Amino acid sequence: MILTALADGSQHGYGIITDVQEISGGRVRLRPGTLYTALDRLRADELIGVDREEIVDGRLRRYYRLTPAGTRRLGAEAARLQAHATAALTRLNLAGGMAT
Amino acid sequence: MTDQANLERGYRRLLAWYPRAFRRENGQEILAVLMAGAPDGQHRPGPAESADLIRSGLWMRLRPSVPRSAARTVRAAVRLMYAGAAVTTVTLIISVISVAFIGRSASTLRLAGRSQPFPVAMTVGIVGGLIVIALWLWMARANGQGRNWARILSTVLLSLATLELISVFSGAQNVLGLIFWAPTWLVGLAAVWLLWRPDSSAFFNPQAAVRGLRGKSARPAGCGPACAGRASHG
Repeated sequence: MILTALADGSQHGYGIITDVQEISGGRVRLRPGTLYTALDRLRADELIGVDREEIVDGRLRRYYRLTPAGTRRLGAEAARLQAHATAALTRLNLAGGMAT
Repeated sequence: MTDQANLERGYRRLLAWYPRAFRRENGQEILAVLMAGAPDGQHRPGPAESADLIRSGLWMRLRPSVPRSAARTVRAAVRLMYAGAAVTTVTLIISVISVAFIGRSASTLRLAGRSQPFPVAMTVGIVGGLIVIALWLWMARANGQGRNWARILSTVLLSLATLELISVFSGAQNVLGLIFWAPTWLVGLAAVWLLWRPDSSAFFNPQAAVRGLRGKSARPAGCGPACAGRASHG
């Protein structure tokens, strides 16, 4: 979900939290501790990188972006989920057709 | 002091749960996110966000920190050491509960071949178990970082554990002790065996491995194993 939040451009930590909440329809509310543990792992796996840093109101704001490897991983994961969803919908349609 | 200043101080205190290096790299940024997400009028961290920061900070301190360059054998050895810590924790908990139930009526317990007052034996047993768990975690961390002294110390500790296991094995009345300690010892044996595999040695002594490769490639025709030995040691 963090990779999805970064799919259309770089985001800072608080932006990722609000974006993930929006993407999930309010179901997922990332807490900062959890977010930065995940960001650290994604950086170690070279799926995301630091885009730039800014100081806003005296506080550090670091922007993250997808790396080429992260883009590939997100694409592969999205294709896998889409295939599952398509299979599920096809079978539901078949089941509905048989029932009627 | 204002609400904002109180809140920031509370967050800074919670960030102390993280390792210093992580705090130096990310502390200001996490603090900015925490402050941005805090509703107006909040003057101290809430219980849920405190629990989240403590849990994440502890995880950062205890997680396996093996660099990507580490050989698969080293990664496996480190995982086994964390498993060893987990097995020891379970063993310690079971031992304490069993002894507390069985030995409640006894005023003394046998510990290391001697009768000890019950509270003394329990305390020594628990402290000893906690030291063993700390050793597992320390060795996992140091070996994961490629410290060669840790590989040697792990081998020494396994030798000591082997002597301990033999002494337990020689006491016929200690079948229960053997059942408890044998799995832990086997985990240690497998971990140390992995640490001394050739791939692991290249990770612990990269310069020796490079010198060995250079020596091998530069070795003239007809040069025997003695040349290889000199190349890898010199």
